[in-house]
Parts: sequence; structure tokens; C-alpha cells
Amino acid sequence: MSRHGMSLALCALIAGASALQSQGTGRGASGAGRGGGAAVLPPAPPGDADTLPPAKYFGVTEYDLARTKLEKLVKPGGFAVYIVTDMEGLAGVVNNGREMSTGRSGNSPDHQRFRQELTDELNAAIAGARLGGATQFFVVEGHGGNNFRNVLVDKVDPDAILLRGWPRPNVMETGVNAKMNMMMVVGNHPNAGTPGIIAHSYALGSALTVNGIKLNESGISAFVGAEFGVPLGMVAGDDSYAAEMKETFPSAEVVTVKVAMSGAGGAMLPFARVHAQIKAAATKAVQRAKAGQLKLVTFAKPYHIAWCIRNTFAQPVYEVMARPAGFAIRPDSASGPRCFTYDTNKAEEIGTIMNLVEWAALKP
Amino acid sequence: MRVNRLRCLMPLLILAALGVAPLAAQRGGRGLGPPANNPFQGKGLPYETGFRAYIVMNMAGMGAAVDPKEIMSGTETGAPAQTNTASYADYEGRFRSLATQEANAAVRGARLGGAKSFAVSDAHPANGFGSLLPWEMDSAAILIRGTRPLFMIAGLDSTFGTLMFDGAVASAGSNGIMTHTFGFDALTVNGKKLNEVAIMALIAGEMGVSVSMVAGDDAAIEETKAMLPAGFVPVITKYAVGRIAGITYSPAKVRQMISAGAAEAVRREKAGAFAPFKMDKPYHVEFTVQNGMSDDNIAQVAAMQIPGLTLERNGARGFRFTTDNAKLIGYVIDAMQPVVIR
Repeated sequence: MSRHGMSLALCALIAGASALQSQGTGRGASGAGRGGGAAVLPPAPPGDADTLPPAKYFGVTEYDLARTKLEKLVKPGGFAVYIVTDMEGLAGVVNNGREMSTGRSGNSPDHQRFRQELTDELNAAIAGARLGGATQFFVVEGHGGNNFRNVLVDKVDPDAILLRGWPRPNVMETGVNAKMNMMMVVGNHPNAGTPGIIAHSYALGSALTVNGIKLNESGISAFVGAEFGVPLGMVAGDDSYAAEMKETFPSAEVVTVKVAMSGAGGAMLPFARVHAQIKAAATKAVQRAKAGQLKLVTFAKPYHIAWCIRNTFAQPVYEVMARPAGFAIRPDSASGPRCFTYDTNKAEEIGTIMNLVEWAALKP
Repeated sequence: MRVNRLRCLMPLLILAALGVAPLAAQRGGRGLGPPANNPFQGKGLPYETGFRAYIVMNMAGMGAAVDPKEIMSGTETGAPAQTNTASYADYEGRFRSLATQEANAAVRGARLGGAKSFAVSDAHPANGFGSLLPWEMDSAAILIRGTRPLFMIAGLDSTFGTLMFDGAVASAGSNGIMTHTFGFDALTVNGKKLNEVAIMALIAGEMGVSVSMVAGDDAAIEETKAMLPAGFVPVITKYAVGRIAGITYSPAKVRQMISAGAAEAVRREKAGAFAPFKMDKPYHVEFTVQNGMSDDNIAQVAAMQIPGLTLERNGARGFRFTTDNAKLIGYVIDAMQPVVIR
């Protein structure tokens, strides 16, 4: 996921949020069923509350329908790999402003070239996994720049099945299901609050925690995957990200593609070396998964989730982020003015809440 | 309003930015911040065995380039991502790639000379220290890009066998092409004027690393020869005939010269021909900030907080400090960048 584009979205949102105030009543209960329990937050504003990617404009399905659709594509008897992609943690990337987004004219040359690098690292992961015995490759577009359409469809491995475009359910783990055999991540970045290249976590101001354990974006994806029994096999990113992942997911293969020397700079390993390392790590991960050597990182239920929205968002945007309809989210003022907690037995709901928070930041 | 104002000032800022880094442009990342609080300070490069060559590629002094529009993207002033297509065509479409190939020529030469491990520092502030094209780099070279502490020689340590400068620029006020010295009109150590190469050579010298090659225009080479008495392999890639005019070679010819120079440099370095650059301690450092900086900016320089630094005013735009640690000079240069460009 990415924060780029948010500043662009802010102006539109400020205008949009105030417009919502005048749209009359009617939403209120529509989403209230899913989370169970009553929301303790102030009631949603009147109108078609802008707290979901609205189905009536974007036709976003429920996440369980998306999961069912993907499940049907998994062929029995094979080894299906679920690959989450992002861009901030790719080899060579340091600059969020110029390298991670399309630019107003849609043609930032560095962003365009890094889409190729994304595709190259993804292809290396697929090639490696195939060598290890994987047969199917489901790829999630997890980077917001260019609206979650960054993998070059004409250059990606022909066996890849892409989940692309947005809004869609559960942005970084759309459709992950029990028929998947392993998860891999390329291009993801360190958590919010970690010193590392373009470190952040969705639109949060600090690390999201599950039962007190910090999870970065990859960690959240793995948390959702683990509930379906899908272990995390391989991840690639900068050294800060690598250290985070080793701590929380010690059995995963970890590839370091660069060394962070600031939030926007560092030492880049040569692309060819990175691709070779990703390929080798993916092979090893699939082999280890088949040998039952990957450990599933699970948490005790009910999951106690806590997060804080980044305080740089303007109040109207924040108010949208603070109000994902249908979830019994509680303010956590002891942790900060923009902090919340939520208890659930379904990890997928966290993906949905992050998706809704992201909606406020990146609304297309 | 701010953007408009910056756009009006663009030509001036481009010249100013030749020597300073656009930290303000790094909206996506955390700035360097005061070195005291910098969790990245002192981070090293991945270790590699064999003779290690550290190559500083400063696009400002690369072969053939004579005009700021060839070496600046035009987006150095904090322009947000959405305007990032404003890059100058010669920079974006031609010179970024040529600079990358020039750095590769240095890597190639160093390899011929016997080096086994290569680090290339993208030392020029254009595009957020992101001019060299990572995807065109020699496949054995570690590329250091983006903002970072001691930006010109970030990650250099005593495991390196030699330090080489490609694209050296003569000091501010001298008669070279696009001359500058970071954000200074002048910087002296113990009364001796140093250019960018010599300042970095002093920091490297404390790590026991010597300079073996300097490539740039004739003005840069001549003055660096006088500053670094232990010598180095000089490669003159262009001759100044004005501040934004020169006698230049084709890039292909420049690459041959750089490659040959780097090979000779590594061979002679391995034979012990050079010595780390040292000066007497404590270092008495005096600098004058760049002409054209506002009073506000000068006040910000005066307020700079760096552990171990006691900065004294020395005239309207002048400052001085004393230290035993050459890195402190580098940290002052780092800290001045956002102040100057803001």
C-alpha cells in the first residue's frame, strides 16, 4: 500500500466530506451487522456515508464473495502460491514522490521503470516457486500508485493470475483462502515508526498491533492468510523490513534488497543479484512448505486489534477514516486522540477495516 | 502560493541546488534530521570480500555537461510528486543515462585494475539524489542513492581499498564549469581552502582510505592536485571556457578515459602509490554560506544543532568551529541542505 496520492486526495476529500453533510439521512444501519455489537463511535453522518468504497458506484463485492471466486480458480492437487506485491520495497526504490506514483500527467518515467522492476521481482518469485514445485500463482496488486495496477500485464509470467484494480475487498489480501498453499511478498516496506525506506503502514500513524504484537502490512496479510492455514514462505524488502519480518515470522525466507540510510535513501543491491536471490528464496520456501517446515504464525482469539490513524490527515478525512461502518470500533484515547481498538474472531475483518481506512486516503 | 513563488525562483534555485540537497523535496521519507537523532547514522554497506572500490559519481561534473539544465531535473525545490514530469528533457532523456554509463565505466576500469567489490554513490542532489539509473548500473555495483548521512561518501568505511571521484567540480568562485562547494562560498580547514573532493578526502582519510582518481574539468583537477599532496590519477574530461561553457569530448571518449584512469588508479593504489589525506588536528573549520541565502536561512544555519558542534559566527555569512572529527564537517554539510533549499 502507499501513502502517495493522499495529498492529492485530500483536497477532493475535504470537498467531498463537507458535501456529504448535506445528503440527508439513511445509511446508519446498513453496515452495522457485520462486526456485531453497537458502534461506540459518534454516529455516522447523515447521507450515504463515505466510509466504504460504495458498492453503488464501484460494485465492490463482499470479501467472502471475492474469496469464493478466487477459490474456484484453484486447481486441486497442485501447489498454489499467493503473492502480495507492493513497490516501496523494490530494489532501487528510495523516493516516494517521484518513483511510486504516476504523476499528474500519468507518466513519471521513474515510476514507469519501477513497474518493470516490480514485474521482474514478481517473475523471479514465480520462477523460483515453480522450480520448487508450485503450480499456480495468484498475484495481488498491493500498491496504490496508478490505482493498484502496476504489474506490467504484458511482461508478467503468463501463469500469473492477477488481482488488480481498486476499490476491491481487503486490498492486500483479496481472496486469500484455504486452498492456497503458501504466501509470498515482494516490494513491501517497513512498518510505520520503523527507520527504513518509505516506512509506513496503510494510513496509520504507528504500527497496528494484534494482541500487542506489531504487524506491518505484510504481517497483516500473513495474519489473514494464517487464519486459512496459509503460511508465509518468502518476503523481500529493505534491511529494516527484513529485520521486522524475521522477528515476527522467523520461519519465512527473507531477502534483503537494499540497506536503508534514511527514509528516502540507501545502498541498493544490483538488480540482477536481487532477482537471483528472490528466485532462490522462493524455490527454497516452496520446498520447505512442502516438507511442512514453514510455521504458521497465529494469534489467540479473540484478536485484540489496536491502531492509530496518521495525524497528518485533515480532520474531515480523519473523520471518514475513524468511522468504518459496521464494526464495533472503540476509541482508545489512552493511546492517543486518533487511536482505536477492535476485538474480533475474524482476521479478514482487519483487512476490511484497513481497506476502508485506505478508502478515505486514496478514494479514486 | 508557495509553489508559484518557488517556480519564479526556479532559475536561482537551480544554481543554488547545484551544491545542496533537496531534503524538502523528500516528502515521502524522513529527512536526515539532526545527526543526534538519526537512526541511520553510521549504517554500513553489505560487506563484500576482495579489493573494494568506492566511486563517487557527481553528475554535476560529468563529461560533456556544461549547463544546469543538463544535470538538474527541475524538481529539486520540493515540488510534489504530482509535478514530477517537469524534468528537463536533456537531464531526463539523456544525461541521466550518460552519467550512469560514466559510473559504469569507472566500475569497469576498477575491475580491470583488480577491484572485486564496487560501490557507487549518486552524489548529486538532482531528483532527490536519484539521477543514476539503477536499472542501467553495472550488475556488480552497489548503488547508493537517495538522501543519507554523509551523502557523498555514505557507507564508506575502512573495508574499502580506495576512493575515486568521477565528476569533480571546482570550488565555488573558481573558473571552472558550474563551480560550487556544497552550500558554501568557501570552506577552509586550518586556513586551507578545500573543494568538495578534498573535504570528502579528509573524512575518508580518517578511515584510512586514500583517493586514487579524480575526474572532472581542468579547473577541478588542477585545484584538487594542489589540495591533495599525496596525488591521484587525474582525468580531465572537459576544459572550462566559461561557467556554463566548455570544451568537451564525446561521452564514448569520456568513458574510455574514465575506465583507463580507474584501472590505473586501482593498480597504483594496490601498489601503495597513494596515501590517505590528513590534516593537523584539531581542525579549525571556517565557512561562508552561499551568497544569496536569506537572513532567515543564515539564522537557521546558526541554530543548527549537532552533537559536538559549537558554531561561532564569523562575520555576516561566516561561521567557524573546531573539531577533531572530520565527519562533523560532513554532518554540517548534511544539516545545511534542507536549510539552504527551503
